Amino acid sequence: MTLPVPVTIIMIEDDEGHARLIERNIRRSGIHNEIIPFATGADALKYLFGSDGDAGKHEGQGLLILLDLNLPDMTGIEILRQVKENSILKSAPVVVLTTTDDSSEIKRCYELGCNVYITKPVNYEGFANAIRQLGLFFSVIQVPSTEP
Amino acid sequence: MELFGPAQTFSRFDHCRFRKNLLRSFLDPGLGLGIFRSGSLAFPTSRHEIAVTSDTPHERTVGQVLLLTAGFLVLVAVSSASVLLVNKARDDNAAVVHTIEVENQTNTLLLEIRRAESSVRGYLLTMGPDFLNDYEQALAAITPELDKLEHLAADNPIQAENVRQLRTAIATRLDQFEREVGFFKQGDLPSAANLVRDAAAGDTTTTIHDLTDAMRAEEDRLFLLRTANADRSQQLASLVTITGSGLVVLLAGISMFLIRRSAHARDRAERQLRENNLNLEATVDARTADLREANEEIQRFAYIVSHDLRAPLVNIMGFTSELEELHPGIFHRIAALSRAQTSAAAQPMIADGGEIQLERADKQLSDDFVEALSFIKSSIGKMDRLISAILSLTREGRREFSPVAVDMREMIDGIVASHAHQAAQAQAHIQIGALPRIESDRLALEQIFSNLIDNAIKYLKPGVPGEIVVRGRTKLGFAIFEISDNGRGIDPRDHQRIFDLFRRAGVQDRPGQGIGLAHVRTLVRRLGGTMSVASELGSGSTFTITLPIKWTVNRTAAA
Repeated sequence: MTLPVPVTIIMIEDDEGHARLIERNIRRSGIHNEIIPFATGADALKYLFGSDGDAGKHEGQGLLILLDLNLPDMTGIEILRQVKENSILKSAPVVVLTTTDDSSEIKRCYELGCNVYITKPVNYEGFANAIRQLGLFFSVIQVPSTEP
Repeated sequence: MELFGPAQTFSRFDHCRFRKNLLRSFLDPGLGLGIFRSGSLAFPTSRHEIAVTSDTPHERTVGQVLLLTAGFLVLVAVSSASVLLVNKARDDNAAVVHTIEVENQTNTLLLEIRRAESSVRGYLLTMGPDFLNDYEQALAAITPELDKLEHLAADNPIQAENVRQLRTAIATRLDQFEREVGFFKQGDLPSAANLVRDAAAGDTTTTIHDLTDAMRAEEDRLFLLRTANADRSQQLASLVTITGSGLVVLLAGISMFLIRRSAHARDRAERQLRENNLNLEATVDARTADLREANEEIQRFAYIVSHDLRAPLVNIMGFTSELEELHPGIFHRIAALSRAQTSAAAQPMIADGGEIQLERADKQLSDDFVEALSFIKSSIGKMDRLISAILSLTREGRREFSPVAVDMREMIDGIVASHAHQAAQAQAHIQIGALPRIESDRLALEQIFSNLIDNAIKYLKPGVPGEIVVRGRTKLGFAIFEISDNGRGIDPRDHQRIFDLFRRAGVQDRPGQGIGLAHVRTLVRRLGGTMSVASELGSGSTFTITLPIKWTVNRTAAA
């Protein structure tokens, strides 16, 4: 199964284990889209915004961003803010995946325009379920192309 | 537990307790927070010393008393001396006056004698009765005057002797006068003239003269002597007065100097005290700020640590679960391989029905594998619950409390209703007595009473119908709530322990992390109250909670 529009999944996650588990579960839910992992916020921003800083190269591309809030070099909130302020990237759905279940932080993420907020539970069943449901979510949402 | 309370709940008197509780409650879980023992929480123990002036107040007091005594004694001495000297001066003056009187009297007497003499002569010359009259008057005056003189001079033996001689001489002279006048009256003029001549030639008049001169001379001498005496007395009196006054002035001066000095010292001490007070306040503020910062730091720390601990836990759990999922595959392969080894004949690799038939040794391996995985998973689950507990406590510590009027009866009714199912299962009956209304944080109160009622239901004696009673009363601005049960009770040795984080007491046959009571006590303290437990093993427990009837945010801050 593939998404109606070829979508690239940008995974910004510093914990390799988490990244691997997320990827496995996405694959298990039948999503075979390209996943580009980034371990630091800086790398991810460099890729997203390109060298000119206006994300022009992603125009017309389908993007979905999986974002961890606790990154070694910056907070995921900052990345979320920058993404949602960019005219090209702002239409890309952002899924926040983090260990934080602080209600004020969740609220903040939604205010900044995050589309889904998932807490990584230690309970693996819960984790796997959440990711698989994310896969379901991927399959039903129509990710808009970033073409204006 | 103090740890998650807001910084303002720590008064300066709570410092030590805060530190102790902080370390105990936070280090106990074995999180290895030893770093807090050494650095950031060290509480400076320096004290502000209040400077004391060199002469102690006691010495100063003694000095003042001595000075006053000396001043008093000087005054008494000066006064007595003045009185004595003034008396003496008066006596001296009286003596001087006496001298003058004696001299005066002598002169008066002499004058009378002269008058008598001249009257006699006048009579003898003119035979005028006026002169006779005059003579008789003078004669009559002489004796009293003489008596007076004798009386006056009685104090002086020399003068007394003089007066005695004078009396004799005057008597002689008066006798001559009488005889002259007698002769004259009889007409015997020549006899009278002779007598006058004899008298004039005689030494009686001279004797009188000499005597009165001597007396005058004596009185002059006495006058000089006594005047000098009087002068000396007066000088002495003024000298004593001046010296005394000078001494008093001097003592007053010293006293004033001392008072000024002590006043100065007091001012200085007062200034110092004021400065110290200001310093102390500043120090207390600084310490409070330090503590607040330390507390916030710990909250941040606990929060971050919990999160950072959770991330690897997700991995451990995730890959353990992955391993678990791999388990059937692995042992499927093992079974297939061993079967292939034992029988050369080509047999179907999978038994009918898809069940993997493991050999005895392989079955053991599989069981060990499953057991190991289940231990890992249960430990991860436990660790996750502990981390969640710390997280929820930090979150609770960050929550701002706001006082509202709470109908406790209504609230407890609600809590009991929500525990109805549990209570029915445990065959417990919950009785609610009269409860006062208070002003406090509603959510915190709900958590407190919910926890306690939950505990009461949870730890009943098996097989004994539960009797749980919630009571309340007020006393001196505080509301006292009691929650008692007839449950299994708590060993008195564990009464402190049950309030510690992650610690539990008694038979561990109920689920729980050992958080409830620690949390309840933190909440009660934040609400400005206290809580205690009274219990014996096997005979139920009573938890008593004392809360201010009207709690305000400031109250805690000022406490």
